[in-house]
Amino acid sequence: MSNLLDQALSKQPVANQKIAPAFTFDSEGKVQPMNPKGHLLPSKIFGSPIEYAKDIKKDIVNIKKASNGKANDHELGRINDLGIKIGSLAIAAYLCVKNPLKLDKTMQFAGFASFFASMALLPKLLIQLPLKLRTGVDIHQKYVDSQGRKKMLYQDPQYDLTDLYSQEDLDKLGKKLNVSENLPDRNNFIKQRAKKVGVQGNTLWMMTAGAAPIFSALMCNAAEKPLNKAIEKFDIVSTTKGLASRLNLESNISEYQNTDKRNIIEKLNEKLFNKSMKDFIKSNKDKPLDEKMAKTIAQKYGKRINSADIQSAVEKEILAMNTSGKINMTFIKNALKGTVKPEVFESLSEEQLKMINNAIENNSFKGIAEVISKATGASKREQVKVANKIISTLQTSKNQADVAKLGEVIKPLEGLHEAMSDFAHNKNLLDKYISARIGDKSGTYIANIWDDFTSSALKSLKLNNKELKELSNGNLELLESKLQELVKDEGAYTKTVKKLLSIIKDYESKTGEEFTKTISDESKKICRSAKQGFKKQGLHTIAQRITGPSDAKSAAEMIGTLENTINKNAKERITGAGSSFYRLMQALDIFKKANNNTLTEEIKTILKEQTNKAGSEMADDALEASAKKLVEVCKKVVLNATTTDYVEKLSTAGYELSEIEYKTVMSAIFNNTAQTTLENAAKTETKTNIINGIINKVKSKLHSTQNATKENTKEVLDGFKKYKQEAREKIANWRNPITPELGKRVLDTATNSADAIERNNLAGKPIKSMAQDAAKKMYNSKKWLKIWGTLGIVIAAGTIAAGLFLGKKGKIEKEAEAKNTSND
Amino acid sequence: MVNIAEKQNYNAINSYGIGFGKKTKEEDTEHAKDRLLCEEMKKHPITTSAKIQTDKLVKAVTTYPKKGLSGSKNANFYEFLTMGMVPYLLGSAAMIGVFNLANKFFDTPGAVSASKIGKKMGIGVVLYGLGKVLSKKLIEKPLKWKYGIENLPYDKVINELPEENNKDNLEAHEYHKVFESVDFPYFNLFYDNKFYGDKKNAYFDKVAKKMGMEPTEYSDQQTKDKIREKVVQSRVFSTLSSYLWAATGVAIASQKPWENLVLNPSKRIHNFINHVKLTQQAKTSVKNKVKDIANYDFFIKDFGKKFVKSTKELVNKGSKSSVYAGRILLGCAIGMTLLGNFKTLFDFNNNRGNKKQAASSLIDENKEKVVC
Repeated sequence: MSNLLDQALSKQPVANQKIAPAFTFDSEGKVQPMNPKGHLLPSKIFGSPIEYAKDIKKDIVNIKKASNGKANDHELGRINDLGIKIGSLAIAAYLCVKNPLKLDKTMQFAGFASFFASMALLPKLLIQLPLKLRTGVDIHQKYVDSQGRKKMLYQDPQYDLTDLYSQEDLDKLGKKLNVSENLPDRNNFIKQRAKKVGVQGNTLWMMTAGAAPIFSALMCNAAEKPLNKAIEKFDIVSTTKGLASRLNLESNISEYQNTDKRNIIEKLNEKLFNKSMKDFIKSNKDKPLDEKMAKTIAQKYGKRINSADIQSAVEKEILAMNTSGKINMTFIKNALKGTVKPEVFESLSEEQLKMINNAIENNSFKGIAEVISKATGASKREQVKVANKIISTLQTSKNQADVAKLGEVIKPLEGLHEAMSDFAHNKNLLDKYISARIGDKSGTYIANIWDDFTSSALKSLKLNNKELKELSNGNLELLESKLQELVKDEGAYTKTVKKLLSIIKDYESKTGEEFTKTISDESKKICRSAKQGFKKQGLHTIAQRITGPSDAKSAAEMIGTLENTINKNAKERITGAGSSFYRLMQALDIFKKANNNTLTEEIKTILKEQTNKAGSEMADDALEASAKKLVEVCKKVVLNATTTDYVEKLSTAGYELSEIEYKTVMSAIFNNTAQTTLENAAKTETKTNIINGIINKVKSKLHSTQNATKENTKEVLDGFKKYKQEAREKIANWRNPITPELGKRVLDTATNSADAIERNNLAGKPIKSMAQDAAKKMYNSKKWLKIWGTLGIVIAAGTIAAGLFLGKKGKIEKEAEAKNTSND
Repeated sequence: MVNIAEKQNYNAINSYGIGFGKKTKEEDTEHAKDRLLCEEMKKHPITTSAKIQTDKLVKAVTTYPKKGLSGSKNANFYEFLTMGMVPYLLGSAAMIGVFNLANKFFDTPGAVSASKIGKKMGIGVVLYGLGKVLSKKLIEKPLKWKYGIENLPYDKVINELPEENNKDNLEAHEYHKVFESVDFPYFNLFYDNKFYGDKKNAYFDKVAKKMGMEPTEYSDQQTKDKIREKVVQSRVFSTLSSYLWAATGVAIASQKPWENLVLNPSKRIHNFINHVKLTQQAKTSVKNKVKDIANYDFFIKDFGKKFVKSTKELVNKGSKSSVYAGRILLGCAIGMTLLGNFKTLFDFNNNRGNKKQAASSLIDENKEKVVC
C-alpha cells in the first residue's frame, strides 16, 4: 500500500493535464478519501436523443482507448452494447441490399428499429412506468458516480447506493411505498423497500425480455401498410424528379454532364457497370469474338437496359463487328508478308491506307494492287503481276482468317458502350417512373390501390373467420350467397358502390390520359435521341429496333419496336387492372338487378326482340323459364368468365345455350345503354356522404382549389359504359355455336395474337379468383395476428399484473409497524 | 456447534448442484474457498464448460428468479446477469416461432413461401449464436497460446445472509471468470496454485517467460499490468468481432440453399429409408452399397454442405450490390478478428512492462521488497 501512496505522491503531473487528487487531508493532517461526488440523475422514462448521441460518441472514443488495452469494466460493458447495435445494423443493411423489393428493404430497418424499440420500450411501458406510478421507485434510475460514469442505481443489489437519495426523495418514496410515518429508522425501511422493488422489477424485466421479437413482429405487421403507402408516395415523387433529370441527348451531352442531377446510387451503379464491362473486355481480350462471346456481352447490356429485343440486336451488332474488326493494318501486313516488304507500308499515305481498308471491307480489291505496286515502284507489267498476287493473297487470307479477337474490336465496342450507357440511363429513369405507378411489385400505386379495392370489396361481404377460410379455398356458392345478401341490403349496397366507385375514380385520375401521354412523350424523346446516338456509332440494327425504320409510314412497321412496346405494356397493365375493377362493378350491378327482378324483365324483352328478329315467337311460359335460366347464367358469367373461356363463350358452354339465348345473355350483361343500379347508388345521399359534403363545402371555401373533391363519380360511370361497349364488341361477339374443333382453332390463334392479349386485358381478373386471393391474404394475416397478437396481449397483461405484486411490505417491517402501534 | 457446521456443509453440498470432483471429509469441514477450475478446464474443457452452463441455466430459470421476484436481500448482480440467458433463449425461440408456428394454418403456396422464410430465420438465429460464440475463440485462443492468459472460470463461494424463510442453507456457489472484471481481476487465485507449480508465483513466472521477461521473485508485479492490458484488448476485439460474425451468420442464413434443408426429423428418417431401399435395389456389389449408404447426406453433412454453398453464394451470387455487401460484411468480420489478433499478440506498448522499464519506474531494484 505504501508503495502506491509513494507513487501517487511522487507522480509528476503531465503538462496540460489536470489530474484529480486521489485523496485529501483531514483537519489533523491525516490522509482521508475524497468526498464522494456521485449524484442521482433526474428520473426520466424516456431519454433524450441528444444524450443518446453523446453516449454513442463516448463509446466510439472508448473503443480507441480500449484497443490499446486501457478501459474499465463500465466502458467495456458499453462497448458490448455498441457491438450489438453495430451487428444488428450490419444485418439490416445486408438484408436491405440483398432484397430487391423496396418494401422488404425498408422492412429490414423497420425490423431492426422495432426490435430495439420493443427491447427498450417494453420494460419501460410494462414494468418501469407502472412500478414508478404505484411505488415511486424508478427501477432504471440512473446515477453518476464520482468518476462521472453514468450507471444504473439498482443494477447490483449488493452495492447499496440508496444513500444517494436526498431526504426529500426518501419522504416522497416513503409516502408512495406506504411506510408508516412514525417508524423509528423509517429511512432505512424506505431504502430497503426501494431496493426490493429494484431487484424484483429487474428480475421481472429479465424474465419477460424474451418476448421482444413477438412485439417487434407485431409492430412490423402494423407498420407494413403505412410503409407501403409511404414508399409509394416517395417513389412517385422521386421518379418524377428522376425523369426530369433525363439526359437531353439531342442537344448537347456535355451540358448534361455539368448539371448532373442523378443521385449517388445511380452514379455508383453506372460506375460499377462501366468498370465491370471494362474488366470483362480486358480479361477476355484474347478470346475469339464468336457467337458465344457476342451473346455474353449482349446479355449484360440486355440486363442493363431491361429489354430482350435490344439484347438480340446488340448481339447482331457485335457479331457484325467481327468482320470489320479483322480489317486493320496488322491483318493486311500479315496477309501480305512475303509479297510486299514491310517498308512499303510505311511509305503509304493516309489516303492510300484508307483505300486499302475500304477495299477489303467492301470485298472489292480493284485499284488496291495499283496503289501498293506504285508504292513499290514496279513497272506497269510487273504492276499487274503484283496486283494479281496481292488480290489473291488478300482474298484467301480474308476467307481463311480466324475469327477476330475481342481485343481487336475495342473501338467499336466502346462506341456501343457509350451510346448504350446514355440510353440505358434514360430508359431506366422512364422504367422507374412507370414502375412506381403501375409496376408489378409491392409498394407501387397500382398494387396498393388493388389491395384497397379488393379488401374494401371483401369487407363489404361481412365474412366471419370460418367463411373467410372457405372463400380462400374457393367456395363459389358462398361468394354468390354473400353477394346476394349484400345486394339485398340497400344501405350496404349503396355504401359499397360509393366506396368502390371512389377508388376507381382515383385510379382513373392517376392512370388516365395525362399519365399515358407522359409515357408516350417521354418514350418518344428518349428513343428518338437514342436512335441518333446509335446511328452515329453506325449501329443501325439497334437504332431500328428502338424506333423502327426511319421511313416508317404505317403503325404496323412500328410494332415490336422498343418505343411501341413501352407504351403498349403500360396500356395493357392499366386496362388490365381497370377492367378487373369494372368487372366487379358489373357483377354487383347484375346481382342487384337479379335481386329486384329488373334483370328478368330486361332479359325477357331482349329474348322477345331476338326471337321476333328470327321470325318466330315464344310462349309466355317458355319465355319465363328461359329468362329465369338466363339470369342464373348471367350471374355465373360475371363471376367466372376468363379470357380462355372466351372460346367457350365466356363460361356459358356448360349451359348449352342457343344462339339467341347466348346473344341475350351478352346483351343483358354488356348493354351499355340500360340504366345501371350503380347510378342510383352513386346518387343516393348517405349520412356520411352528407357530412362529407358539408366538410367539403367548408374546405372549398377555405381553399378554392379543393372544389374537385365534391365532384361526383359521373366520369367513372361513363368509363364503365365505355368498358361495357368495348367488351361487348371484343369479347362478347362470338356468334357461331361453339364446336370442339373450332374451339381449338380459335384457342390456337387467340392466345398468341395481339387481339388475345387485348381481350385478356378487357376480361380482367375473374371475380371468383379476385375474391379468393383477397380472402387468402386477409385470412392469413388475421390468423397470424390472432396467434401472436393474443400472445402479445397475454404477455403484456401478465407482466403488468405481476408488477402489482412487487414491493410488498416484508415481515420485519410489518413487525416493526405492529410494535410501533402497540407502543403508541 | 459442530452439528450446525455439519448441517451447513450438508446443505451446501445439496445446493451445490453439479459438483466438481469429490471432496474429502477434512475438506468438507473446512470453510469452503473460491477455487480456480484450471485443472478441470485443462483435462475436460468441453464437459466442464457444459456443466457450468447447465448449472447457470438451471439456476437462471429456478433459483434466481425466485430470489429476485421475492426481492431477496441476497440477490446480486451475478444472478441478474445470469438471468440474461433467459431472454436470449426465449427471444431466439420467439423469433423462430413468429416465423414458423403459424405456417400450418396458411394455404399451401402461402405455407411453402412462409416456411422458406421461417427456415432461414431459424437458421439465422442458430448461426447468429454460433458466430457469436465461436468467433470469440479466434481471439481468445491465440492469446492463450502466446501468453498463457486465459479467462478461466472459478467456483465462487457465497456466504449468504440469513433471511425470513431461509436461515440455514446459506452457502451458494457461482461460476465467475477470473478476468470478468478488468478493474478487479481475481489474481489471488493464481498465487500458490499447485496446478502451475510449487512456487507462489509459478503462474506469473510462466506468463513473464512467455512475454519475454526474465522471471523474478516479483514476477506478479511485473506481469499484472500487462495481463490486464491484454485482457482488455482481447475483450474489446472479441466483442466487436463477435457481433460482426453473428451478422455474417445471419447473412449466410439468408441465402437460397437453406430453403431445401429438411428439418423435420421424421421426414429425414423417411428420406434415409428410401435411400437405403433404393441402394438395395441397385445392381452393385455389397461393398458399393455400404459405401453408398455411408455417403448419404446425414443432417450434419447436409448442414455443412449447405453452409459452404451459402457462404460461397454470399460472396459470389446475386445482384452486384448484394455480392459487394456480402464481401464487405465477411471482410469486416475477418478484418476485425485479424486486427484483434494483431493488437493482442504483438506488444506495441514497449515503454512499459518490460523488465528495464518496470525497474526504473515502478519498483526500485535496489530497495528491499516485500511481496504481498
